[in-house]
Amino acid sequence: MSEKYDVIVVGGGPAGLSTAYFLADKGYNIIVLERGSEPGSKNVFGGRIYSYPLDKYFPEWRKDAPIERWVRREVLSILCKDSIVNLEYEINRRLNGYDSFTAFLSRFLKWLALKVEEKNVVVATNVRVDEILFRDDVAYGVRIGEDKLEAEYIVIAEGANTLLLEKHGLRAKTSPRDIAVGIKEVIKLSREKINERFSLRDEEGLAQFLICPVFGAGFIYTMKEYVSIGVIYRPLFNNQVEARDVIEELRIHPHISKLLGDGIPIEYSAHIVREAGYRDLMHKPYGRSYIVVGDAAGLILNTGFTVRGVDLAIESGRLAAEAIEKTPPGEEPTLYMKLLQEKGIITTLKKFRKVSTILSDQRIYREYPEIICQILEKIYTVDELPETLNESLKKAVGGKTSIIRLILQLLNMVRSL
Amino acid sequence: MSVEERLALTKFEVYGEPHIILQKEKCKGCDFRICISSCPAGLFAIDESGEITFTYEGCLECGACRIVCPENAIKWNYPPGGFGVQYKFG
Repeated sequence: MSEKYDVIVVGGGPAGLSTAYFLADKGYNIIVLERGSEPGSKNVFGGRIYSYPLDKYFPEWRKDAPIERWVRREVLSILCKDSIVNLEYEINRRLNGYDSFTAFLSRFLKWLALKVEEKNVVVATNVRVDEILFRDDVAYGVRIGEDKLEAEYIVIAEGANTLLLEKHGLRAKTSPRDIAVGIKEVIKLSREKINERFSLRDEEGLAQFLICPVFGAGFIYTMKEYVSIGVIYRPLFNNQVEARDVIEELRIHPHISKLLGDGIPIEYSAHIVREAGYRDLMHKPYGRSYIVVGDAAGLILNTGFTVRGVDLAIESGRLAAEAIEKTPPGEEPTLYMKLLQEKGIITTLKKFRKVSTILSDQRIYREYPEIICQILEKIYTVDELPETLNESLKKAVGGKTSIIRLILQLLNMVRSL
Repeated sequence: MSVEERLALTKFEVYGEPHIILQKEKCKGCDFRICISSCPAGLFAIDESGEITFTYEGCLECGACRIVCPENAIKWNYPPGGFGVQYKFG
């Protein structure tokens, strides 16, 4: 690695590889430094990618990208102890040309790395960057153990766990209230069983969000011959189950085990997720000769119904590449923030800024799901003395809260979403 | 399935030295012990003497323990390049 590069990209995840991809088109000599033994070997996500940036910037990507299934069924579920309430939306066509597909991130990144390498970018694996080198506030290289590597520009794409940014005081120490731990298990199940049990055709996929009083939030994504299940664990909640056991809790739930009980678990993974939304966005995701992209910059969005990470990583990579091209080395690429604003990314994050407050409210998971499950149980119970909806509601709400308070809370929630 | 059985599903290339160091003297005044409940790999525990113990071999490199620790008792780094967890699916 003695060769001199124009740009060093720290991290071969969605944001880092995308930045390299777009920079390569502009004629830069680039090296991506990835600590994993191959691209994707350190990455974890839920299971879905929104495809619009791929359609825009990656010609013919649908031919060889590792797409598992196109999401056609969106399900929002309340999962109580032994019951489930579903809100389901199924569409048998592409969503206005804006589609999403399920995928495995490790495989997707291997594919993306190939696309980047085709443009003569060096993707160096097994390389852990220990430090960004600064000279009078100007980034000029990185330290890798005893070695130094210099470049005119440094792209920081270290992901959600912002070790380097915190080390150099470019970001405050991440607060535990601003993160969740995504904990996931991949389960092998035959294509036929997945199709049958989730009511899907071969290329069709399901994306399911779960709200549960026991473990908080969770998800299910169907792949071709696998199903990914996961829990979004919030360390600061008054949790009934410890992080190490939440996946098993989900897997053995009567509803889930009916679907996946005969499946074979094949990989267990976990990673922190930045959950604070707009509040977490770096005010200045750049400095003299460096730029921060993707999760590390806080470019991740949970709208309450959809979670966007990879698409924002790709977009931020594109805009970072444009800003680098138009900013001489040694100067601040202020254009980056301007572009993020112009393209509506900042506005979108801002628009959904209240969602993170709602999603970090324990009542969403603890109180309301129970109330809803209880009401439905009463409604559908026919005995000698059936109850009206109003009676069921009063009973279900019980001592937890008053009906008026509940309605006000729900209204407030809807306004924020 | 226990957490140990689940961890056995995932591939690791274990390095000879720990990448995470628990500075136990800082744990003494802590009753919170959120590291134990937050670790998805269940690598933190309390031994007979009431001291917190930690093993690094099954670390999923999720990053949670460093962030949740109220005492800043966890010196956290990634394993050296190529070592540690090897996700095939992710």
